[in-house]
Amino acid sequence: MNMRIAKVTSDGTETKLRILAKEKEHVRRKLVVTAEKLKLKAKQLAVTAKQKEHVRRKLVVTAEKLKLKAKQLAVTAKQKEVVRRKLVVTADELRISRATLEKKVLERTKDLEQVKAKNEAILASIGDGLVATDTDGRILLVNKAFERSLGWKREEVIGKRLSEVIPMTDAIGNTLSASERLKIKTPNGSTAATMYYRRKDGTSFPVTITVAPITAGNRLIGTVEVFRDSTKEKEIDRAKSEFMSIASHQLRTPLTAIRWALSSLKREKLTDEQQRLVVTAHETSTNMAVTIRRMLMISHLEEDDAEPELAEVDLHDLVEKVTRLHDAHCRRNGLTLIVQCPHTLLVRTDEQLLVEILDNLISNAYKYTPRGGTVRLRVGKKEGMIRISVADTGCGIPLAEQKRIPEKFFRASNVASPAEAGTGIGLYMVYNIARVIGGTISFVSKENTGSTFTLLFPS
Amino acid sequence: MSKHVLIAEDETFLADTMGKLLQKYSVRVTIAYDGKEAIKALENEVPDLLLLDILLPKLDGHGVLKFIQDKELEFPVIVLSNLSDRQTKEECKRMKVKHYIVKNDIDDDDLWPAIEQYLR
Repeated sequence: MNMRIAKVTSDGTETKLRILAKEKEHVRRKLVVTAEKLKLKAKQLAVTAKQKEHVRRKLVVTAEKLKLKAKQLAVTAKQKEVVRRKLVVTADELRISRATLEKKVLERTKDLEQVKAKNEAILASIGDGLVATDTDGRILLVNKAFERSLGWKREEVIGKRLSEVIPMTDAIGNTLSASERLKIKTPNGSTAATMYYRRKDGTSFPVTITVAPITAGNRLIGTVEVFRDSTKEKEIDRAKSEFMSIASHQLRTPLTAIRWALSSLKREKLTDEQQRLVVTAHETSTNMAVTIRRMLMISHLEEDDAEPELAEVDLHDLVEKVTRLHDAHCRRNGLTLIVQCPHTLLVRTDEQLLVEILDNLISNAYKYTPRGGTVRLRVGKKEGMIRISVADTGCGIPLAEQKRIPEKFFRASNVASPAEAGTGIGLYMVYNIARVIGGTISFVSKENTGSTFTLLFPS
Repeated sequence: MSKHVLIAEDETFLADTMGKLLQKYSVRVTIAYDGKEAIKALENEVPDLLLLDILLPKLDGHGVLKFIQDKELEFPVIVLSNLSDRQTKEECKRMKVKHYIVKNDIDDDDLWPAIEQYLR
């Protein structure tokens, strides 16, 4: 029995122990799990700690950077403040400058207005008409004299073409086109022939025009034209030529009687001495007749409306006719004349005017060539132009005086004797006649060697 | 039959010189010393040629030319004048004058060669 009890007792304990053991095992296992969990947690915490440390370090760096940035910002702020202060100062200065400038501009504007008013007053006071046009020929500006003489108001013409507003006509009333208007100008800008301007009311008046280009830098921006009503001058010219006409007629009438009387006397039987006197007197009267003719011709040429009377002219015949007039002079002075002229050379020109030119050139060549000299007359045609040259072996014209050749009354200083003295109107006339027949005169001259005068004119 | 030339010229010396000169070439000459005389001579006989001055007393050369035109007389006229202005020359040309000579620019013996062709 005891044994059984003992047995029974031991069995209970054992169970209890077993249960305890089991419970303990359970606890242990839980603990193991917990330990595992804790280990994991610890690991996670370590990782987190590591991360946090990393973040902290980064934060430290960032903080350093921020500190630096703050410092920089402080510097920048300081600089900005300096700049701001400077700007404030500059703004003040600018305000002052602006005020000064405004004052100066006002003063300058006032000055300019005064100058402008003065210039306008000057323009308005110019007695001659003035009109400025752009490169298209449109009117930019006109003055009071323009308005007065043409009857147009400034505002009616500004922007319009000058050639349309103010028609230009020639002496016989033909209206010139815009391009023809440009052509009438001589190189010095003034018109060669008399032209007429038509007023608003349709009436016309003769004008003397001077045109000059307006340039800005090197660029042509228009032209300025000054014109003058030349009615009075025309009247004076007319009176002058009427006087010339009457005076020359009065001179010619008795001179013709003298010339014809001497000419018929020359044919009579006379002693040598009488013959010499009569020949000299006849020659003088002939020269005087030539002088009167030339004076009249000059007066006519200066009237501006000289027009050539065109006709068919045989140059060979004409040259022969003119040279024959001087045969006596040629023989008397022992000169040689060499003529080179094609046999039939027909030109359309003014015969009388051409005779005058040749007569003058040949007469001069003979007059200024010493005994034994040679005069060469060459006639030729090239490219539609006739070229007639008269060359002598005479005394020539001093270089310093050559540019005065076309002047009226010019006489070279090296003319040998008063007997050779001319009137000084011959070459002046030659230049003017050449212009009328559309030609030009040129010359080459060397003192004590000779001169060559060349006439070039259209055939 | 000899040719007949009428000379209308108021300057007696010139008129007579011309007359004598033309007579040398067997030309019959009538001289009129003013425009009216010239008209009278023209009414009397139409010449073969008229040598006409422009500035003539009583009736000038233009008047004589107008008379010739009005009467439709047909013969050549040569003007011999000391006027040389364009208007006068043009007026003469218009009145069918054959030739215009400035007296002062010729000698007396240049006259015949200048007019001879109009008498053929």
